[in-house]
Amino acid sequence: MSEAVFPVDPRAGMAARAEAFGRRMRLWITAGPGLAWIILFLIIPSAVLLAIGFFSIGTYGNPQLPLTVEPFREVAGYSILGWSPGNLIVIFRSLLQAVLAAALTIALAYPLVFFIIARPPAARPLLLLLVILPSWTNQVVRTYAWMELLGPDSGLAHAAQSAGLLAPHLGLFPGVLAMQIGLVYNYLPYMVVPLYAAAERLDWSMVEAGRDLYASGVRLFRHTVFPQTLPGLLSGIILVAIPAFGDYVVPTLLGGGKSMMIGSLIASQFLETPNWPYGAALTIFMLVFTCAGLIAFRVLSRRPGGTEESMM
Amino acid sequence: MIPADAISERPGAGRPAAPRQAAAPRHGSIVLDRVTRIFPGRITAVDGVSLSIEPGEFFTLLGPSGCGKTTLLRMIAGFETPDAGHVVISGRAMDGMPPHKRPVNTVFQSYALFPHLTVAKNIDFGLRMRGLPKAERRRRVEAMMALLQIGDLADRNPTQLSGGQRQRVALARALVNESEVVLLDEPLSALDAKLRAELQIELLRMQKRLGMTFVFVTHDQHEALVMSDRIAVMDRGRLRQVGPVADVYEKPRDVFVAEFLGLSNIFPVTSIAGGCLDTPVGRLALAAAPGNAGHAMIRPEKIRLDSAGPDMATPHGPNQFAGIVREAIYMGASSQYRVEVNGGQLVVLDTNVSARDRSWQAGEPVRVSIDPANIVLVGQ
Amino acid sequence: MNHSMGRSIRRILLAASLPVYALLYAPLALIAIFSFAPAPAASGHGLYWYAELIRAPEVIAAFRRSIMLAIGSSLLGTVLGTMMGFGLYRFRDRQAKGWLAALPSLIIYTPIIMPSLVFGISELIFFNFLHQATGLLAAGLLTMGIAHVTFQAPYVALVVFARLSGLDANLFEAAQDLYADGWRSFVHLTLPIVRPALIGGCLLAFTLSIDDFTISYFTAGPGSTTLPIYIYSAVARKGVSPDINALATLMISAVIGVGLLQYAFTRNRARRMLARTGG
Repeated sequence: MSEAVFPVDPRAGMAARAEAFGRRMRLWITAGPGLAWIILFLIIPSAVLLAIGFFSIGTYGNPQLPLTVEPFREVAGYSILGWSPGNLIVIFRSLLQAVLAAALTIALAYPLVFFIIARPPAARPLLLLLVILPSWTNQVVRTYAWMELLGPDSGLAHAAQSAGLLAPHLGLFPGVLAMQIGLVYNYLPYMVVPLYAAAERLDWSMVEAGRDLYASGVRLFRHTVFPQTLPGLLSGIILVAIPAFGDYVVPTLLGGGKSMMIGSLIASQFLETPNWPYGAALTIFMLVFTCAGLIAFRVLSRRPGGTEESMM
Repeated sequence: MIPADAISERPGAGRPAAPRQAAAPRHGSIVLDRVTRIFPGRITAVDGVSLSIEPGEFFTLLGPSGCGKTTLLRMIAGFETPDAGHVVISGRAMDGMPPHKRPVNTVFQSYALFPHLTVAKNIDFGLRMRGLPKAERRRRVEAMMALLQIGDLADRNPTQLSGGQRQRVALARALVNESEVVLLDEPLSALDAKLRAELQIELLRMQKRLGMTFVFVTHDQHEALVMSDRIAVMDRGRLRQVGPVADVYEKPRDVFVAEFLGLSNIFPVTSIAGGCLDTPVGRLALAAAPGNAGHAMIRPEKIRLDSAGPDMATPHGPNQFAGIVREAIYMGASSQYRVEVNGGQLVVLDTNVSARDRSWQAGEPVRVSIDPANIVLVGQ
Repeated sequence: MNHSMGRSIRRILLAASLPVYALLYAPLALIAIFSFAPAPAASGHGLYWYAELIRAPEVIAAFRRSIMLAIGSSLLGTVLGTMMGFGLYRFRDRQAKGWLAALPSLIIYTPIIMPSLVFGISELIFFNFLHQATGLLAAGLLTMGIAHVTFQAPYVALVVFARLSGLDANLFEAAQDLYADGWRSFVHLTLPIVRPALIGGCLLAFTLSIDDFTISYFTAGPGSTTLPIYIYSAVARKGVSPDINALATLMISAVIGVGLLQYAFTRNRARRMLARTGG
């Protein structure tokens, strides 16, 4: 090839390196402030919260040294008066409520989703929007609505009273039933949306094939339709059960002092009678529980059907 | 860079026989001097490639996927920086020069049309960035749209266009800037066969008319044959052969090039005896000294088939064999046969079906003739 | 596909779904109905409680605070979030190894997946300590604003990132190829393309802030009551009451109104676009 010498700018190499450096700097400058903000104002505070779980309680409920695991013993139910099952009951109740809420939303969401799917495509966005719209209202307002509906003076309460299910002048709230209703009402859209997304992509030729092979009715649904909705169902379960487990507004407004859930229990350690280390320990427990649930869930859904990747 | 008002209609550059020495900088020439690019993970994409491209040439980089041709193109454009070696355009070294300062425009494989601009504004973009006055810009954009017959698409959005239309817009957007060099990265690969064939001819005509240097990347050897003045065949980061299309086709330097460009019959040379080669199909007489070539190659269209007459035993010339047709494929303008000769296989392309008025079926005996001059000796 | 379902099945689905729709809106409708309850002094007209609402200073103040907080926080949240979105997008191409590459995404997702309760309490503790140590940042609108920005920014980042990801990777190179240097490429290519995502992200941030209760509740101080907090406090104290009904009805109507408007708007736009592209 030609051996001619080309005029090469000796500063060119440096310019290229400066360009690369500038590019890397710009990367950190763009993402940096946001990331720093989150680290400073969330990650660090959360770490502090978790750390407090290992401190002893001070005079005003604030944390102080020495470090101890006492708060965790309190979580398990031990206090100065010995062991009481109260805590475990709260935890168990929260779990139950969350699972029940998930189950109920599933039962309600499936007919709803397929009803919408059965409609002409032009009508579907509106029908879906109508399901989602209530969830755009404020959480407090939504829960308040059920206080209205279940209060001692409401029609429903009167019906229950006259049926003898309820003592007179008591309402259907506060109570476990009211909490469950509140949870389902709040979280139904979170089950409907992923389920709808999965159902919209349904391959109906599979249903035809199933019918062609003499399946019908429930069996047809179970083998051709249901498996295809599984990814949406799994997403929905996570989107409902996890927030329901740690919800604060519903148990506080509809549950009252006698039927607490873990959310209201934790909050009361910081707002009412302060006991920060105990509250922090409860929070750690709740987070661990949630993570464990998530992991168990992912493991269980990693079936040969291959729904794992399609989740989320 | 060529001044904005330079006349862009130059007569076609023709087909130079051999690359000339780079003396004074010529507008639109490209020289690659031992260009190397190694990706993180120690993947050598381009390995010491040296090339010289003439102004006004239609130069094609041909090779299989992953051979480094696109990386090479991107280094000319400036989207990648060579780890070693230099890129020189029009006599100026491009070391450290970012893409927006280079006298180069690119047509991308995915077209990369700006979705927020109309077709006209897309084409106008480069001119606008260079600060040309509005009237001048409008004149050029309209002229280019007329040239590529997309004038009626001016106000459409790229998302509303078909593949062929988008390709033209991408081309217009690049050409309107009248740069010295235009780079095209497999611009026709997303189109269907018929459209592709049409646009190949159109691109070629456009290039000859405008006289810009085109550097064209493709993996389609047929496309390369149709459009190029010169071809560079690449494989795994290395240049295999560079030269005028006819040279590379008729005289491939190695097995890879021979097999990549067109159909070929390639045989390893088993032994050499007195000016003849022993091959799986028989003993072949050569026209020239064999040297130490490792393989012999014969293009399928250079093999002649005749009826196997009663005088099969009497050869009519050198390299005559008795063969049996094993497979016959009718392809319209030609027929392709697989012929078994002495236990070996030959692929034969017969392009004169009508003149010979004869075609063969599977199982028929034929007489195979190979002119010694058509046997090419090939290295590795 | 519609004919895949038998008519009887469709009827069953309809029968099962109508009650759900009714149940979704019955509580809200009931509040609206009760908000027109007559005043105690039997002045008769149904809009009594609405009038009271407009006159109640705490309600107006809470409303103003909600709006100001939302505007302020969504501006900062959008700026930080957009920058993060860009950073995320560029980070994709980097050859960063293993966990270091996943770190930015992880950090950005944390505010989204963290339960609001934990989020709120963390902020409470943090600001409390900070205030004790430095005397700065007493619980109030500022601390609420900081908390809001913290959960807004990731959502905006995701919206911007999603928009950027959908782009042809060669677009930026094409701009450079056409003589646009870094800055001009940003102004003439990136910004116009990202603008709809920016606006959408900002609206999202605004909505998230206005709607938030739990996190705001834990970071609020005396005198920084927002609308949701006001309602909560009133309800927790005296339970169901007609003035809350009126306020709730207003909020519900606003949301439903905006929702339906947005639906009509997007449907109209889709129809217009279809007419334009036509053939």
